[in-house]
Amino acid sequence: MKTLADLKKIREKAQEEMKLRGGNVRMKIVVGMGTSGIAMGAREVMKTFLEEIANRNLTDVLVTQTGEKGLSSMEPVVDVIEDGKDKITYGNMSPEKVKKVVVEHIVNGRIVSDFVVATGN
Amino acid sequence: MQDISLHLLDIIENSVRADARHIKVRVIHDVPENLLRLIVEDDGCGMDSHTVEMAQNPFYTSKLEREKKVGLGIPLFKQNAEQCNGTFKMASEPGFGTVMTVDFQLDHIDRMPLGNLKDTLLGAIIGHQEIDFYVNLIYQNRCVQQSFLFDTAAIKEELGDIPLTYPDVIEYIDQSLYEGIQNTNMEDV
Repeated sequence: MKTLADLKKIREKAQEEMKLRGGNVRMKIVVGMGTSGIAMGAREVMKTFLEEIANRNLTDVLVTQTGEKGLSSMEPVVDVIEDGKDKITYGNMSPEKVKKVVVEHIVNGRIVSDFVVATGN
Repeated sequence: MQDISLHLLDIIENSVRADARHIKVRVIHDVPENLLRLIVEDDGCGMDSHTVEMAQNPFYTSKLEREKKVGLGIPLFKQNAEQCNGTFKMASEPGFGTVMTVDFQLDHIDRMPLGNLKDTLLGAIIGHQEIDFYVNLIYQNRCVQQSFLFDTAAIKEELGDIPLTYPDVIEYIDQSLYEGIQNTNMEDV
């Protein structure tokens, strides 16, 4: 059974790490979670991002969910936002595509242009 | 939507858009009463009685017509509940929030499955760090009652400035939800 004591350990470990590298968020991932996105599999897309972050131990990436934005025909839609760079929007995402985006874009900084449906705002 | 937990995710996003700070999710699996009940309660901006009525109409949306012309989330959920001898109720008060209660006949042949409750809750909790979630799962049978409580406010307090997207925290929440869902027989409902 998981207890709050486990969280204390996690907190101590995380604080140690933050001292070493500073506590900045390097990238923000926003998964579109409107009705049409959910119907097209956005929950699995979200889940895969969370799994990849946990498995690859990515401590400087933030994942959030948002509502519909008028790209319903390309759902599930994911935005990758990085300070000082254009926002990249990926469309028609799937768990497999998420894994590729994590390796290429999130970890190595190379945009996966095949999946991009919009850039900038 | 293929299952109830996908509808739940959709409803949670409605609460988020209503600027809720707290969202309470209760799922009750009651065998003697032959009932599967879902209650979502938020402290968002709420709706007046006219808007509550309109929200159940598929051609109504709170968004600009330029962005979107239909609003299918609530009407589809209502339809899916009522199709299998269930009920859908929504009560709201401007400035106070909204409560939605959806009942399903547990053993109805056409009832959609509950589905992957864990991934719905995990995504919602981590995807909306600014919102406190209070999750209560209850399993009731003739001689046993099992209950699971999960309150993200307590977790955030313990974590301080560590974000919920920190890898070990994701695993912690995932594991806790998994255990709770197992203990309350919410997996293959």
